Amino acid sequence: MSNSPLIRTLDLEKTYITETIKTPALRGVSVELHKGEFTAVAGPSGSGKSTLLHLLGGLDRPTAGEIYLEGTAMSGLSKDQLAKLRLTNIGFVFQAYNLIPVLTVLENTAFVLELQGIVRGERIKRAKKILGELGIDQYADQYPHRISGGEQQRVAVARAVVSDPSIVLADEPTANLDTAMSHDLIDLMRRLNSEKGATFFFATHDNRLLDRVNRLVTLVDGRIAKDEVRDAA
Amino acid sequence: MKAAIRHMLRNRRRSILTLLAVLIPIYFLIVMFGFINSMVQDMFESSTRFDTGHMQIRAVETRATGSAMPLMNDPADALAALATVEGIEWATVRLDLPAMASVGERTRTVFVRGVVPEEINPISNMADRIVTGEFLTSDSTGVLVGEELADLLELEVGDDMVLLGAHPEASLGAIRSPIVGVFKAHEATIGRMLVYASLGTARQLARNDTAATAIVIRVDGVVGPQDAALMDQKATALRAALPDGFEVQDWLDLLPVMDGYMKILTPMLLIMAVVFFGLGALVVVNTLYLSVMERTREIGLIIALGASRMRVMRMVLAEAGIITLAGAFYGALLGVGIILIVEAFGGIPLWGQMADYMKEIGISPVLHMSITAWQVILSAGAMAVVAMLAAWLPALRASKLEPMEAMRYVE
Repeated sequence: MSNSPLIRTLDLEKTYITETIKTPALRGVSVELHKGEFTAVAGPSGSGKSTLLHLLGGLDRPTAGEIYLEGTAMSGLSKDQLAKLRLTNIGFVFQAYNLIPVLTVLENTAFVLELQGIVRGERIKRAKKILGELGIDQYADQYPHRISGGEQQRVAVARAVVSDPSIVLADEPTANLDTAMSHDLIDLMRRLNSEKGATFFFATHDNRLLDRVNRLVTLVDGRIAKDEVRDAA
Repeated sequence: MKAAIRHMLRNRRRSILTLLAVLIPIYFLIVMFGFINSMVQDMFESSTRFDTGHMQIRAVETRATGSAMPLMNDPADALAALATVEGIEWATVRLDLPAMASVGERTRTVFVRGVVPEEINPISNMADRIVTGEFLTSDSTGVLVGEELADLLELEVGDDMVLLGAHPEASLGAIRSPIVGVFKAHEATIGRMLVYASLGTARQLARNDTAATAIVIRVDGVVGPQDAALMDQKATALRAALPDGFEVQDWLDLLPVMDGYMKILTPMLLIMAVVFFGLGALVVVNTLYLSVMERTREIGLIIALGASRMRVMRMVLAEAGIITLAGAFYGALLGVGIILIVEAFGGIPLWGQMADYMKEIGISPVLHMSITAWQVILSAGAMAVVAMLAAWLPALRASKLEPMEAMRYVE
């Protein structure tokens, strides 16, 4: 594992402000994530897990503090620059509504490559390859509503890793899956981590997943309560 | 593009509504153009046919001649110049003279129009307007009068009428002419004023064997006012060829009413187009807005994955573009199709008083339709541009969605 962090946050704060209420979600979070890690951030509901994940992914902006992605400060980037950063450096897996309903599994997988401007032949080749590696190539021509939730999440993982991003950010990826499907998905992501060196960062409170991560960051009330490196398989 | 097509197919009803919002205004505009074109052409044709022609050669007015047209002593030089201009379909010499018409003790001021009957016959419907008697011939010494003048002077076919020429540039001539026919004029004023005679008879009245007041000309290939450029081109060529002392009056000089009508028609069509297109644009904005709202989470996901704002806009505009193009194409097809079908059946015949009136004013009692390629392109193109401009608003909204807010959006 390299010593130079892939992502570094510095005193990260996020406060949601409504007309009358200010709700602090993160209060001075400083954390480093390194290449090849299989890390989860855990904590009770409202502890700021998803908020941290969204800030790291450039989907939202912090109220204070800074995030560096491979040395680049994200606060100075415009919306389009952030979009480009997400496109080239970050893969996303969301809890639900992960896939574009009018695109087939193959097209969904290749969608990020299309956004990157990769020519059709090349993106189809790469998408088919990753679908094959994840064992879901038989669904290539199916539309998302034709396959199960677990299979849809596998496709989402395929799409997240197809462009070899620096990191995959996954928000409660197993929340909607039954145990068997969850284990399958976690096995899959572990395999991608160990075989391809893909870096994963999860926001989850699912013990089935938490048991399998190498590093666990625990958030309580928007602060890091614990950051432990663990042996997991 | 593929995704845009699938979105359209997924929401067929809304896509069809958007398509209709583009199609219907184009269809209506083309059909409207079709009727108006044909009416304008009919009016233009009935006015220019014989009465005014597409242009006229006249003598340059050197002194005030009142209501009389300046007299040319000999149109031969002008006719020779006209022969050098290509693309002239037809020309005839005419002599219009103010005169006094007397029968017994009754006297009226009239205009005697001297024509070459054999030349005007092929293009004029004068012969069809004869109510009693017969049409003129070149060697005829008789005259035709309108029903109104016949009533005022209590004339019948076979009666004699004394005409006293009163052109300020001609000598005073007087002739006694038999009434060979009575015609139905399309306006009562004309029926009271106009007396048709052969050119020879009119020249006798002017006491000048070569006199004329106009050479009436029709240009080959002119169908209506839309051929103004062709008429202008011929008028310019003719002006260059004519010797001194002659001038060319074009259709705008000769048909000021037509010119005025055209000036009203253009803004009227424009207002109608704005109303049609405006309504179409509102529907396009509405349906696309709805589509963007319904797909808020999906668009949020696409932005989250890294699509730029421009990309999202392109995505929405692509969908609008496909529907717009289809709407424009089918609208144009339907509009042109209706025109072709109507014309294949020989037009829409009018009936009753309307048909009689149209006949009286020299316009065909059958409604025809015609359209030019430019009008089709203009109608379809303008609506397509309006629809795409309307699509801009929902596209902009989609591009400005915040990814996380959009993904949390619940319909």
